[in-house]
Amino acid sequence: MTEKRKPITAWRVAVLLFTVVIAPPLGAELSDDKISIVIPYRPGGGFDRAVRTFAPYLARQLGEDVTVLPENLPGAGGRRGATKVYRAKADGTTLGIFNLPGIVLPEILGEQLAYDLRELSWIGRIESQSYVLLVAATSSVKSIDDLQAASTISFLSTGYGSSVLAASQIAADVLGLMGKDPIFLAGYAGTADYLVGLIRGDGNVALAPVSSAAKYIESGDLRPLAVSGEASGRAGVPTFADLGYPELTPLNVQRSVAGPPDMDPELLEMIRAAFLRAAADPDFEKAAEKARLELSVLDGEDAAQAVEANFNFYEKFKANLRNPNAL
Amino acid sequence: MFDSLLVAADYLTGGINLAYLGLGVVIGLLFGTVPGLGGATAIALLLPLTFGMEPEQAIILMGGIMGAVSIGGSVSAILLNTPGTAPNAATCFDGYPLTQQGKAGLAIGAAATASSIGGVIGVLILVLVLPIAKTIVLWFGPPAFFMMAVLGLTSLTVARGNMLRGLIAACLGLFIGFVGYDDIGGTERFTGGIEFLWDGISIVPMLIGLFAIAEMMKLYVSGGPIARAGSAARITGTRQGILSAFKNFKTVLSGSAIGSIVGSVPGVGGTVASFLSYSFTAQSSKDNQNFGKGDVRGVIASEAANNAKDGGALIPTLAFGIPGSAEMALFLGVLVLHGMDPGPMLLIERESTIFMLILALLTATIFSGTLVLLAARYLSKIAHVDSAVLIPAVIIVSLVGAYALHGSIGDVFAAAFFGLVGYVMIRANYPRITLIIAFVLSGLMERNFIQSMIMFRGDWLKFFGDTTTVVLFALSILVLLIPLIRFVRSRRRMA
Repeated sequence: MTEKRKPITAWRVAVLLFTVVIAPPLGAELSDDKISIVIPYRPGGGFDRAVRTFAPYLARQLGEDVTVLPENLPGAGGRRGATKVYRAKADGTTLGIFNLPGIVLPEILGEQLAYDLRELSWIGRIESQSYVLLVAATSSVKSIDDLQAASTISFLSTGYGSSVLAASQIAADVLGLMGKDPIFLAGYAGTADYLVGLIRGDGNVALAPVSSAAKYIESGDLRPLAVSGEASGRAGVPTFADLGYPELTPLNVQRSVAGPPDMDPELLEMIRAAFLRAAADPDFEKAAEKARLELSVLDGEDAAQAVEANFNFYEKFKANLRNPNAL
Repeated sequence: MFDSLLVAADYLTGGINLAYLGLGVVIGLLFGTVPGLGGATAIALLLPLTFGMEPEQAIILMGGIMGAVSIGGSVSAILLNTPGTAPNAATCFDGYPLTQQGKAGLAIGAAATASSIGGVIGVLILVLVLPIAKTIVLWFGPPAFFMMAVLGLTSLTVARGNMLRGLIAACLGLFIGFVGYDDIGGTERFTGGIEFLWDGISIVPMLIGLFAIAEMMKLYVSGGPIARAGSAARITGTRQGILSAFKNFKTVLSGSAIGSIVGSVPGVGGTVASFLSYSFTAQSSKDNQNFGKGDVRGVIASEAANNAKDGGALIPTLAFGIPGSAEMALFLGVLVLHGMDPGPMLLIERESTIFMLILALLTATIFSGTLVLLAARYLSKIAHVDSAVLIPAVIIVSLVGAYALHGSIGDVFAAAFFGLVGYVMIRANYPRITLIIAFVLSGLMERNFIQSMIMFRGDWLKFFGDTTTVVLFALSILVLLIPLIRFVRSRRRMA
C-alpha cells in the first residue's frame, strides 16, 4: 500500500505569512510557565503518542521558559480527563486532547456528563483518520456488492459507546445490511484485538482507522473494500462516496486539543497561534512522520466546527446507535 | 534469522548498551519488589525519557525491566506474603510459610533460580514457535478464551481447608470483578454513581490490601518478627534453594511450559499461568501434603511459570501487535514512539530489533536472578525485623504503591478497604487466594462467554465445535478428576 500525505502547503504558507509579516499581538500572557496537556488514556497509546510528539514544539512556540507537560489521566473511557479539563481554571495552563467522536457519543447516547464539549475552548486539531471497511483476505467477499450478497453479516468492534461500534451500526444501515439481522460482536479490548478476530473468523467484516488497519493490509491478512473521507489516501481503495454511499464520508476519528470554557479571548488566540506555528514546524512534521501520526491540522475555529459537525452527524443517526447486545 | 541474532548480540554487548540493560534490571527489581509498582509503572514512567535514546537502547532498557520485575516480585511474596506483582501471588502459598520457618534463604534461592531457568526456557520456546506464532494466536477466539478461564478456575482446587469457604471467597471474587462499566451490555454495575468505580476495582490495590496490609494487621496483633520464635537465627539455605531448583527440574520444566502457553493469553495469562503451574504441581506430585505449608516445590512451580510467561506474552505481540500483558502494551508504545509499527510486519521488517529484545529479556532474567541470589542473605533478614519497624514501613510503601498506579486517591482507599477485608478473611479462615483467582478470571470469563453466545446466536453447543475449546475443556475435566483418581488409588492401596 502506498503512503500518501495530504499537502498542507496552503495553510502553512498562510501561517508563515501571519507570523512573519503581521506578527501576532502578544497582549495575553500565560499565568504560569508550566502547561499540562491532559491525556485521558494510559501511556503508550495513540493519544499519548500524539501529545508527547507535539508537546515540545508547542512549548517552543509559547515562549522560552514555557514547559508543556503531558499528563496521563486514564479512567471512565476518557470522561475523567475530559472532566478535569472542563473544570480547570481558564488561565491556559490546563489543556486536553480529545477523541472525536469517542467523547461525543456518550452525550448522543443520553448519558449525564460532567462536561459539555461545545463549551470548551478549542485550540486546534492535530490528527484525523478515515475509517476503512475490511474483510479477511481469505474471505470470498471482494466488494461491497459481495458483502451485500452474503448470507450472514457479523461486524466486529470494541465495546458499546465506542466510535467503531457506532460507525459499524451506521455503515450497516447505509449499506443496506440491516435486513440480514447482522451480528454486532462488540467488546473486544482494542483495535488490534478485533482485527485479529476478523482474520480468525470471529466475524466477517469490520471498520478500523486507516493507520491501525494498514499493517494488516500490508501483511496480506486483511482486504480493504472502501474508505470514508474525501479521498482514498493510504487505503488505496475507493471511497464510500465513489461507490454511491456519500452518507458515510464523515466517518472518522479526530484528535483535537482544547482548553476549559471561558478562556480569555486574547489568551485563546495566542495559544491557537502558537498551536498552528508548532504544527507548521518542519521538525514537528519529521517527528510526526516518525511517530506515524496522521496529521490533518485545523485551527481552533475549524476544530470547534468539526466538533459541531460530529454532533450533527451522530445525532442524525441516533436511532441506529442503540445497544445491539443489551441484556 | 541467524544473521539477525548475531547483529542483535553484537549490539547488545556493545559499551553503553549493557549499562542500559543493567539499569533496566535494577529498576525492574526495585519496581517488582515494591507492591503496587510493577513493570507497567516502571515502563510508563521511563517512556518519555526514552524519547532521546536510540530505539535499540530504549528496547534494551525495557527488556531489562521486563526480565527483572517478576523476580523482584517474588522477594516480597516470600518475605512479606505480599506479591510484588499479581503473577507472584501463587508464590505466597509456600514462600511465606518457609520464611516463617526461618528458611527465607531457601525460598529466595529456589525462586531466583527457578525464575531464571523458567525465563530462559520461556524465551527458547518463544524462538521455537515464532515461525508459527500467527497460527497459535489464531487458535484462540472467544470460546477458547472462555474455556481457558474455566481451566484457570480449576486451580481453585488447590485451596486447602473448607471447601464451602473457598467457594464463597471465589464467588466474592467474581462479584468484585463485575463492578464497573460493562461495555457489552452498556451499563454501569454496582458503582453507586461513583466515577472511580467506572473502571472497576484494580487488582493492584486489591492485592496490596488483601496481602500487604492484612498481613501487617495480623503481624501487629501477633507482635514480633515474621520468622517465628525458635526458627533459625542464622540466615542460611540460599545454596540449598539453588540446588532444590535443579533437583526438581521436572517441576521447572512443567512450570515453564505452562507459563509460556498460558502466558500468551492476552490480559490475564501471567497470573493464571503461575496459579495453574502451582495447581498442576501440587496435584501431580508425590508427598504433596506439605503444599501450602512450606513446600519449596510450590515456589519453584509458580516462579518458573511466572518468568516463562514473559516469553509467552511476546507471542501475540510479535504475531499481531496484540499486547500479551500490561507491560507489553506500554512496550508497544515505546516501539511506536521510535518509529516502529507493531503488527504482523514487525518481525519481518525488524528481525534484528526483535532479537535484541529477546536477548535483553534472556540476559535480564539471568542477571536479575544472580543479583537476588547474591542479596538473598541480606533480604532474608527482613523476616527478623521487629514488627514495630516493619509494619509502618510496609504500610507506607504499600499505600504509596497503590497511589502510584493511577495517581488516584481512590486506589488508596480501595487498598485500605481490602486490607480490612483481608484481615477479616484471615481471622475467619477464608482463602484470599481463591478470591484473587476468581477476580482475575471474572472479566475474561464474562466477556468471552457473552461474545461466544453472540457469535453462536445463543446456541451454546457450538462451543464444542471449536477444537481448541474442546481440548481446554478436556484439560479442565482432567484437572478436576486428578484429586479423585489419586484418592481412589490411595484407598485401593490401603485396602
